[in-house]
Amino acid sequence: MDIEALKEEFLHKDFDEQTFEIDADDVVNFALACGEVAPRYTDPGHPDFQAPPTFASSFQAGRRMPEGFPKIPGLGMDAGKAASLKYPIRPGVPLVGRTHLHDIYLKTGRSGPMTFLVMRMELYDPDGVQVATADTSVVIRERPGK
Amino acid sequence: MILDLHTHSIKSDDGRAKVPNYCQWIRAREIPIDGFVLTEHRQFDAESDYSSLAAKFDLCILKASEVETEYGHVLVFGVTDALLSAFDFGDIHLPLKRVVEACAAHGAVPVPCHPGRKRVGMQAHVGEFGVPEGIRIVEIYNGGSRDQEDQIAQTMANELGYLGIGGSDAHIVSHIGRCATRFPGPIGNTAELVEALRAEDFEALTFRT
Repeated sequence: MDIEALKEEFLHKDFDEQTFEIDADDVVNFALACGEVAPRYTDPGHPDFQAPPTFASSFQAGRRMPEGFPKIPGLGMDAGKAASLKYPIRPGVPLVGRTHLHDIYLKTGRSGPMTFLVMRMELYDPDGVQVATADTSVVIRERPGK
Repeated sequence: MILDLHTHSIKSDDGRAKVPNYCQWIRAREIPIDGFVLTEHRQFDAESDYSSLAAKFDLCILKASEVETEYGHVLVFGVTDALLSAFDFGDIHLPLKRVVEACAAHGAVPVPCHPGRKRVGMQAHVGEFGVPEGIRIVEIYNGGSRDQEDQIAQTMANELGYLGIGGSDAHIVSHIGRCATRFPGPIGNTAELVEALRAEDFEALTFRT
């Protein structure tokens, strides 16, 4: 697997765009599921009502990978999520999420060689202001016994 | 002086600890170390400046690297611009011989870490590749070791005549200082750390219970 060639071909190129409507009930349910107790996350009547920062990680792209991206052999697993919030996400303000492949890298660990793919969704408000980024990492590890 | 010689911050892809939080934890929990070395995976963090943080908490905070070779992972102390140009720190297939030679040429010290660990520890590869030349020190206490991994490392070190260091391999705040290394004199910068390692007068410590 030529990682440098994959990077050259696929990195930092948007491959998906979705529009998300933010519903107050969804925000409250998400906040409660996360154990949030602050009223600004759980009370739609609060003057500063907004989604918890990790809400940005709940949005799903329409595609998982760029079109034409090769299948990397091995076992694929979720390798975590990371959200970075620039401005609050608020119900009633639709967001556009554009997704690109942000990084590809290799590492070795107890379980053997692994390939990591990092998909980044950048979320924009209707004025084109970037509100947040949400990274989703996938690890593909060599099959056990190899 | 006691330093934790193997730690990771959020600069590493799998690190979850911020350096200020390491400092706060050390002081709040009275962890018996005087500082730590950030050994980020497959890179050298040249841009971060922790000098004000070190002064604020009266801790020694140094930077090194953890690279990946056919013998497993190797800590590199004394990283310089010249050493960064000598090989690709991000390459997970680095020949250990090349790392050792580059370290010798540029005044750095290579230390195979968690050598008792399968796949990424040196002992797992000695049978296939032989005993590597140019290694004087290995990590014999690693805070992330499981089962007999540290024992395997110590046995290997005894058999091959290596000196041993200790490091927590912390990726989260509460793991810092689990293992460390005691030096007889003060260390305030990377050059002094390299000098102290070369003097071969230190002792690996574990605080794991």
